[in-house]
Amino acid sequence: MAPARSGEPAPVSRAPVRPHRRLRRRRLIQLAFVAPVVVYVVVMFAYPLVFGVSMSLEDFTFASLATGFAKFAGLSNYRQVFDNPVTWTAIVNTVIYTVITLFFQFGLGLAIASFFNRRFPLSRTLRTLILIPWLLPLIATGTIFRLLFAGSGGLVNRILADLHIIHSPIFWLDSRVSGMAAIIIVSIWAGLPFNTILLYAGLQDVPREIQEAAMVDGANAWQRFRKVTLPLIRPVAAIVLMLGLIYTVKTFDIVILLTNGGPGNATQLLATDAYTQVFSNLQFANGAAIGNILLLFCAIISVIYIWSIRRSERQA
Amino acid sequence: MSTVAVARSAGAKRRRASGRSRVRPALRSWLLLVAGLAIIVVVLFPVYYAVIVALEPSSTILAVAPGVIPHQVTFANFHAAWDNEVSNITASLLVSLGVVLLTLLIATPAAHGLARFRFRGISIVIFALLVTQMVPGISLSIAFYVTFNKLHLLNGYLGLVLADSTYAVPFAVLVLRAYMTSLPSSIFEAAEIDGCGHGRAFLRIALPMALPGIITAGLFAFLFAWGDFLFALTLNSSGSVQPLTLGLYKFVTAFGSNWGPMMATVVLAAIPSGIVLAVAQRWISGGLQAGALKG
Repeated sequence: MAPARSGEPAPVSRAPVRPHRRLRRRRLIQLAFVAPVVVYVVVMFAYPLVFGVSMSLEDFTFASLATGFAKFAGLSNYRQVFDNPVTWTAIVNTVIYTVITLFFQFGLGLAIASFFNRRFPLSRTLRTLILIPWLLPLIATGTIFRLLFAGSGGLVNRILADLHIIHSPIFWLDSRVSGMAAIIIVSIWAGLPFNTILLYAGLQDVPREIQEAAMVDGANAWQRFRKVTLPLIRPVAAIVLMLGLIYTVKTFDIVILLTNGGPGNATQLLATDAYTQVFSNLQFANGAAIGNILLLFCAIISVIYIWSIRRSERQA
Repeated sequence: MSTVAVARSAGAKRRRASGRSRVRPALRSWLLLVAGLAIIVVVLFPVYYAVIVALEPSSTILAVAPGVIPHQVTFANFHAAWDNEVSNITASLLVSLGVVLLTLLIATPAAHGLARFRFRGISIVIFALLVTQMVPGISLSIAFYVTFNKLHLLNGYLGLVLADSTYAVPFAVLVLRAYMTSLPSSIFEAAEIDGCGHGRAFLRIALPMALPGIITAGLFAFLFAWGDFLFALTLNSSGSVQPLTLGLYKFVTAFGSNWGPMMATVVLAAIPSGIVLAVAQRWISGGLQAGALKG
């Protein structure tokens, strides 16, 4: 974070030439505006992340909490973590969960955004209402879906029974596959507004003239969507997907509330696995190591994300 | 630092009807409205259902399927939820307001500085703020737990406010910076020529002009803190500072099928979301885009 502290005179926009000392003082005042947030990022983000990495390389136990002392342990925590089948369940679950959730969030979001990209009465109001799932606390969302997925008397089971699809109630949250399915459905629902709104903004930017030109050339609706709209919204779509990926891969609240990672760790994701290791099993070092694996996932996605932003900016 | 889509869409209020349709325009727009309503009804059904169950007397909730309208309306569930949760609601309010205060104190001057002044490392600071939004909360919370334990910040308001502010500060700086960049720079240049210092230019010009942006950032900070569950769960093992989300979680795990009061609690927890939607709706998608797309 050195740059904000460097006192080198940068071109001050159109300021008349002033005595040197005055300029320096102004420079310091300018720095005072930005310095707090730089300190904040270092203390609240950089330090914890470095701390987490060092924790994962130490023999950090419950006792270390009090003494503040832990022996260096090299990569042994990571070895333990990768020897643990639960970690692999969590990794596989996280990947499957993220891919399926993103696919439906994005697909449904694009469909709804395309629908609203037309003029009709009340469309603005309806578009606003679609934000509601995104604004709700995730714990509240999860609680609603616990009711919908309830084994006895839950609405989902009742509807499936009325349609004669099932003959005895499914206990959704009590097995791996149906539990993951429930988690994915809740996650799609909660993330849908985000995708819809950003993709809608992208669609609004597609110049009407191009659409009309394609229409004059005899392109049908599907062709216009495939060949005109889709390529033009690709930069926005890439960003929406990347952000969705980052938000989804670190999902925590929904899982804790719906299944708590169970039954028997079958529905753990990386975030909840790290939580369970640290706060239930008091395996601080192992938990930190799992947290860092998740962090690595996020870092890789972020690099691709930043790169795609830069690229689309250069194109713009 | 141009934006991807936002700047153009902000100015582009062009509405467009796609395609010359063979159906008469009036009929067509009514059909679209019906379809739009259908989409909203399907998407929002879970919320509606929660409200119905919250209004239904406990005895009838699962005995008879709650219909489109409640069989009997009662506020008993809300009374129960309020009695259970009033201390948690207070805790949530205090923490959230603390987060708003801390966030605006840090973010407003920073946004002004990043929008107005030219530093060498500005793009690095902005890059860092973008990256921080991608850090998983669980990684932070493990480190916070150990550090806060040493500093005696666990099970207290200050610790939770600090932790919850990590959701809001980077977002608020980015959103506010976008807002402040859009203010005409000529005003600030004129003020400078008139001998107005940086401090005064910030307080007298930037703050009043950016007020809508500041309110939006504050509302989002409130909402982020209000919705936090992860830090509340991990940094408050004693339960001395128990926000509503944690209270709801404990209620769900302890009384798994007491649906009436549970859904009433959900409705209470959703009130700030409703307020934000009502007050800041036209800023939400702009803010979403600024936080997400600007850089």
